[in-house]
Amino acid sequence: MTLLNILVFCAAAILLGLLRQDRWRHWLILALSVAAIYWMQPLMPIRQLDFWLPTAAILLTLGTWVVLQTGRDDARASIRAALPALALIAALVLGIAALRYLGDACCLTPSPPPPLLPVVIALLLAVIVTGVIFVLPIRGVYKMTLLILLLIALLVVLKTPRLSEAASVWLRTLTQQPTGQAAALDIRWLGISYVFFRLVHALRDRQSGLLPALPLQHFAGYVLFFPTYTAGPIDRAERFLKDASREFTLTWPVLYAGGQRIVLGLFKKFVLADLLAVVALDAIKAAQVESTLWTWLMVYAYACRLYLDFSGLSDIAIGLGRLMGFTIPENFTAPYRKSDLTAFWNSWHITLAMWFRAYYFNAVSRALRASRFKFPMALIIAFSQITTMILIGMWHGNTWNFIIWGAWHGVGLFVHNRWATAMKPRARELDARPRLKAALSLLGVLLTFHYVVLGWVWFALPTPALSLTVLQRLFGLS
Amino acid sequence: MTLRIRLIALLAAAMLLAACTGSTDAPARAVESYLQALARKDADRLAQLSCADWADDAQQALDSFAAVDVTLRDVSCRTSAVEDDIASVSCTGALAATYQGEVRELDLSKQVFEVVNQSGDWLVCSND
Repeated sequence: MTLLNILVFCAAAILLGLLRQDRWRHWLILALSVAAIYWMQPLMPIRQLDFWLPTAAILLTLGTWVVLQTGRDDARASIRAALPALALIAALVLGIAALRYLGDACCLTPSPPPPLLPVVIALLLAVIVTGVIFVLPIRGVYKMTLLILLLIALLVVLKTPRLSEAASVWLRTLTQQPTGQAAALDIRWLGISYVFFRLVHALRDRQSGLLPALPLQHFAGYVLFFPTYTAGPIDRAERFLKDASREFTLTWPVLYAGGQRIVLGLFKKFVLADLLAVVALDAIKAAQVESTLWTWLMVYAYACRLYLDFSGLSDIAIGLGRLMGFTIPENFTAPYRKSDLTAFWNSWHITLAMWFRAYYFNAVSRALRASRFKFPMALIIAFSQITTMILIGMWHGNTWNFIIWGAWHGVGLFVHNRWATAMKPRARELDARPRLKAALSLLGVLLTFHYVVLGWVWFALPTPALSLTVLQRLFGLS
Repeated sequence: MTLRIRLIALLAAAMLLAACTGSTDAPARAVESYLQALARKDADRLAQLSCADWADDAQQALDSFAAVDVTLRDVSCRTSAVEDDIASVSCTGALAATYQGEVRELDLSKQVFEVVNQSGDWLVCSND
């Protein structure tokens, strides 16, 4: 999100919050969210992709909603009731495409959208495919599993450099652009990682019978919600529906609280984080700087910059949500002040950690505990924690550096788990010695902070070789 | 007719009207956008505005400006000839490249841009 995006969203959020008719507010939030995802999508070298990617995100959302209806007694009635929402979304997509013909007044997307005919054909094809999937005589739970696998496959392609480059080659063939210039970073699909989380959460909860019935305008509003679309926090559909169903009036205290949060986020991201970017670790500085002291300063600056940038975005999203009556969950609670790695991961990108805990960690550890083979508990914990963190690393990018970063934290979490288990019998002893407890807590904070900071070296740099060089330099070994 | 149907009909009419609106000198606008992308060193936009045969040349032109600041001076383009899907566009004004205070101007009036219509988009295909 750029500063201009945020300012316009603030104005829109305030106007929406002032609307007395809750019913109209939700329709306008949906309309605004659909328009926003086109507006925010950055330009890419592949022609018209900045129109097709947001359109694909919308179609994935609509398709998922239809699949969620399978097996419900009132499925057909729900789909009929969703026609106004479908019509609104289709009208918006076509309207945004039609901006192409307005000459200098074009466009909401960074480049002119495609002609109307291919867009109409794409929408009709989507309706046909979704309809076929809906009526297919396959159990709903299997359809949902297939859709989850499709979403995972999509994410794997986008996050794996070789596959992403191959996808770019294919797309360039379609747009008659030179394939020799294809690169892994050609496809920059804004928000798709977070769309993935929301859709998979809805599908899994539906499979478990936990997801309540969601009208399309609320479901689409939840998935495409403009404050959280690009960088979270990752909300839950049931919680979002609760806020969407409540009556809301924007009052001065709410305006103040929301505005305060937005201003804090703007300051953290656009002032502090951007200042730190000048000295923060990156591939160019890592290759040029040779001093141990300066390398430490760059690494500390990176750690602070990452926190300020990301938590700033969360603050802005939470503030915007507040102005419209949505209580978006917190994502960061002073993570660098935690005295152990488990506490760190309960306070850094909280909604991401909760998502992986709910949909991977708990499922895997439960399956291993229930297995015929009686695995030792320590092995179950190690496997579950390390693979969870590796997956979180791979979600950032399917490269060795992110995998190593994930393993770094997985091993750290396991070590802390064993330490905490060993120390449990001594907990009462420690409570009786508050000074020792405080000293250990401070030591824990310093150790945890530096463990995380050293992990960021893998996160920030593109290759294992460069990361190892920097780590060696930090300890005067290069 | 309900309000909802009227609104949908109005929106559809507006879209049809927009679709029927002819664009004014689209080939010239494409060249102006191309030159602006060159000046801003926007590789992505340059790639979008170049036809396949010209893409490498456009990238080379961009690379040649890597070490200098580029601005457009009084640039204005117009289509001088159109035949089927190929248009010739000539421009006035200059591309000013500044390096360490020294300014070098590239007179655009000496160049003619060949622009091709590909699936409704005008793309720069060469400049002579």
